[in-house]
Amino acid sequence: MANKGWDEFEIGAMLRTFNGKIDDIVGTHQENRAYSENSSFVASVADWRINKPVFNKDFCIDCQFCWVYCPDVSIISRDKKMIGVDMDHCKGCGVCVEVCPTNPKSLLMFPEKADEETELAAWPAKNEEKK
Amino acid sequence: MAFDKMELQKIEVWDGNRAAAQALRQSQVDVVAAYPITPSTPIVEGYAKFLADGYIEGEYVMVESEHAAMSGCVGAAAAGGRVATATSSQGFALMVEVLYQASGMRLPIVLNVANRALAAPLNVNGDHSDMYLGRDSGWIQLDAFCPQDVYDLNFIAFKVSEDHDVRLPCMVHQDGFMTSHTAQGVHTLTDDEAYGFIGEYKPMNDMLDFEHPVTHGVQTEEDWHFEHKARQHNDLMVKVIPKIQAAFDDFEKLSGRKYNMVESYDMSDADICVVCMGTSVETAREVATEMRAKGIKAGVVGIRVIRPIPFFEIAEALKGVKAIAALDRSSPNGAAGMLFNEIAGCLFNTDTKALLSGYVYGLGGRDLTKAHLVSLFTELQKNVDAGKVTTPLQQFIGVRGPKLSFL
Amino acid sequence: MLEIRWHSRAGQGAVTGAKGLADVISTTGKHVQAFAFYGSAKRGAAMMAFNRVDDKVIMNHEKYMEPDFVFVIDPALVFTSDVTVNHKENTIYIITTHMSTEELVASQPKLAGKKVYTVDCIKIAQETIGRAIPNTPMLGAFMKISGMYDIEFFKESMKRILGKLPQKIIDANMLAIQRAFDEVK
Repeated sequence: MANKGWDEFEIGAMLRTFNGKIDDIVGTHQENRAYSENSSFVASVADWRINKPVFNKDFCIDCQFCWVYCPDVSIISRDKKMIGVDMDHCKGCGVCVEVCPTNPKSLLMFPEKADEETELAAWPAKNEEKK
Repeated sequence: MAFDKMELQKIEVWDGNRAAAQALRQSQVDVVAAYPITPSTPIVEGYAKFLADGYIEGEYVMVESEHAAMSGCVGAAAAGGRVATATSSQGFALMVEVLYQASGMRLPIVLNVANRALAAPLNVNGDHSDMYLGRDSGWIQLDAFCPQDVYDLNFIAFKVSEDHDVRLPCMVHQDGFMTSHTAQGVHTLTDDEAYGFIGEYKPMNDMLDFEHPVTHGVQTEEDWHFEHKARQHNDLMVKVIPKIQAAFDDFEKLSGRKYNMVESYDMSDADICVVCMGTSVETAREVATEMRAKGIKAGVVGIRVIRPIPFFEIAEALKGVKAIAALDRSSPNGAAGMLFNEIAGCLFNTDTKALLSGYVYGLGGRDLTKAHLVSLFTELQKNVDAGKVTTPLQQFIGVRGPKLSFL
Repeated sequence: MLEIRWHSRAGQGAVTGAKGLADVISTTGKHVQAFAFYGSAKRGAAMMAFNRVDDKVIMNHEKYMEPDFVFVIDPALVFTSDVTVNHKENTIYIITTHMSTEELVASQPKLAGKKVYTVDCIKIAQETIGRAIPNTPMLGAFMKISGMYDIEFFKESMKRILGKLPQKIIDANMLAIQRAFDEVK
């Protein structure tokens, strides 16, 4: 937000989420909403990441655990199908990987610089001993 | 609308609590969240009964503490309703944390305070300790001297507080028991006159406006906090006084009853005067008149608007006077007294060089008698005759034991 | 300025009585004030209520009062508290008791030489209203002693004030007021 003077903002400890009037907010996907500059949706925390999650859809069972547990609502799920990670708002905490129940996991953390194609090609196999 | 109107007599014999409850009914308050406490209990009890009897369309929310009561009011006001509650003393003290939330969030809430002493020792009777506790909270504070004032000032409070240029919560103070439980004649407005005066509630940034979602009560740190507080102070200093004046003017047109920021009584040629608040103002007026019969030119200044302090109006009211007594009904606990300090501040850069002395009186409901005021005025006249304050600057009125005085 | 002090026990209706009296007087164009000292605020505790009546607006809010009339609506308070405190030379006492005025004054020397009237408001209330609520009978006695208003006007006014109560209770109160008016000595 701009560093406005004391007389330049709306009164009250109050912020507007959207620019102007909105309707059918429930039926509108986040990327299509007119978020205002006050909404954290317009801010990115991508540069906070040291490690990033990589999603492998081959093993995903769409259980939605990662979507439920992500503290930054950065798991993109449409019609209960996991699509991927919102890399603007993921800060790389790794919670999604912790809670992923599949074997091998459908989400794994890699260094921010890692190449996604390469990591997907080298995805670990099922761990038979782990029970 | 789905509620019954009530026929009132032109003059009803009401105590301050009844007057406040009737004003809340006539204002058609949407939400009262309350945790009743003596001596303010009958205000919210009255609202609840009017509601149950079908005279109000609203909600009475019984909560588990005064902190929750004011929190409920904050929520209801942010949601977009006309909101009020009442409290006293310990309840007020517990509310304080949320008072700052309400004013900082710029929510128009009307809080009736039946002023009562603060423990320890525990005491249910009237003094101004709780009123003084709230004076830096960012609320507007109006002071009633009798039940009629309580009734009238509630309407003023809603009108000013809900104004979109103001949007600050407002307290209406009355002396616990001495006003809250003292029945006197109250000139009433009809339900239509009263509601017409304050008008329909006009929401602003309300949370129930789903087409314009807002987040209330946001966090700011060093980067924004100061600007918000400066804005609030600016609006209190600049916008509120003219709005109160306009409301007083409109109210006079409606009712014939005239209110002023500073209520001057016999001040035009007064040599000496007392400055005080609450019921003491009226008792002092009666004594001042009796002093005039004895040839002493006495006057009384009552502070009607405590916050924002009517700085220039106080200086104007006191400009011709030679000796002033500031009467504080709250223990300053290590200072000269709020009114003493405020008056000193108002006058310091003016040409008025009146002799100013402070008095602490009436703690825990201790009676301020006419005899006390006669000796007070007599002492002030002695100061005028001597051309200096002949006593210590701070004295106690009506306390037992060896005479107490300081400064 | 007419000033009245009520001596009562919390729960006997002194505050209601004082406010009711103020209400009646207010309708005649006079200015009124009614307040109370609640003390420990427990049912049964001794307490005092007060009335002020004047032709001009009452600005005096001091609790101190030198009463013109003292109403005692509980018979024991004449002995357990000082009902003569801050009295004036011509203060008039109306006291609830089963005793005659002479017996009462003889048993409480502080009342000697004072203008004392007696009436058994407790008994009247029990026999008419069915409960020992001696406030309205005291007002009937006051109307007789003070001659303030015609008793029929006063009863009509009280009917309006008691308006929300069941008709049976209102009728009983009217009877109580009339009996105290007739019986006070």
